[in-house]
Amino acid sequence: MTEVLEAIRGRRSVRSFLDRPVDKGILEQLVEAAIWAPSAGNAQTWRFVVITEPERIRRIKMVSPGLLGDPPAVIAICQDLDEARAKGGELGASFLAQVDAAMATQNVLLAAHDKGLGTCVVASFHRGAVGRLLGLPDGVEPLLLVSVGWPANVPSPPQRRRNVVFFEVYGESG
Amino acid sequence: MNRAELTEKYFELVGYMVTSARNLLDESPLYGPFRLVDAASRLVAIMEEDDLADQRLLAIRKEIEAHKYSVMEDPTKFRQFLDSLVDLLVSQIASSPGRGGGVYREKLSCENEGKPLKERRKEG
Repeated sequence: MTEVLEAIRGRRSVRSFLDRPVDKGILEQLVEAAIWAPSAGNAQTWRFVVITEPERIRRIKMVSPGLLGDPPAVIAICQDLDEARAKGGELGASFLAQVDAAMATQNVLLAAHDKGLGTCVVASFHRGAVGRLLGLPDGVEPLLLVSVGWPANVPSPPQRRRNVVFFEVYGESG
Repeated sequence: MNRAELTEKYFELVGYMVTSARNLLDESPLYGPFRLVDAASRLVAIMEEDDLADQRLLAIRKEIEAHKYSVMEDPTKFRQFLDSLVDLLVSQIASSPGRGGGVYREKLSCENEGKPLKERRKEG
């Protein structure tokens, strides 16, 4: 198996972290991986906010029920939806921006896994509240939060559904 | 923990509960019970820091922390976990000291003694 496939299969959603900071240099590498993700129409309307101040993380946690554990870093995956609309029309803002954010997020997760870090993608947070706490300008929306830290506990892999892949036509397992 | 720190911890919990209430309007129905037991666990954690959590509360928190993430893995396991948590709670209620310091005895027939709550309901 290639290293990439091993990383894809080995990554877990980690919700328990050691009380140990993550170097800024590593976090920069994670967002560098993010900006190399594919982007529909090469729009690159994503924005990334890296948060490491404990007090800021504490405040974000207050409005983010899905942000579990005490991660030493959080990356907010945001999109400038006004720019996405200007570049890609309504499809750009309502769909392509979300897809781009998801692909960038996966890059962050794999790059973090490569460094031995644990991550968890969080969608359960109040977008308006997080936007205010991060000082996001109008039009820029936080779509996902990624908690990042050294894992205290790595969960065992959940079962994967196998009957979801078809070849040639729907229903044919090949 | 001083009073200001304690107040801040409760404020965090209230923030978690209020934003959960809003977000749950748009989220998976299973996340409702998850947030409730997670909030219960967070409350006990605060009480523990202030030396207010007794063995009953600590046991409940331990169970929640051990099994709460089953909600992400298997809804049936999550349901079983909640059933067993209620069973634990009922056992604790039955053996709790009353307000006057006495012990309240659950009115159970001999047949029901020790059986899980769900089985008692079926028979009852």
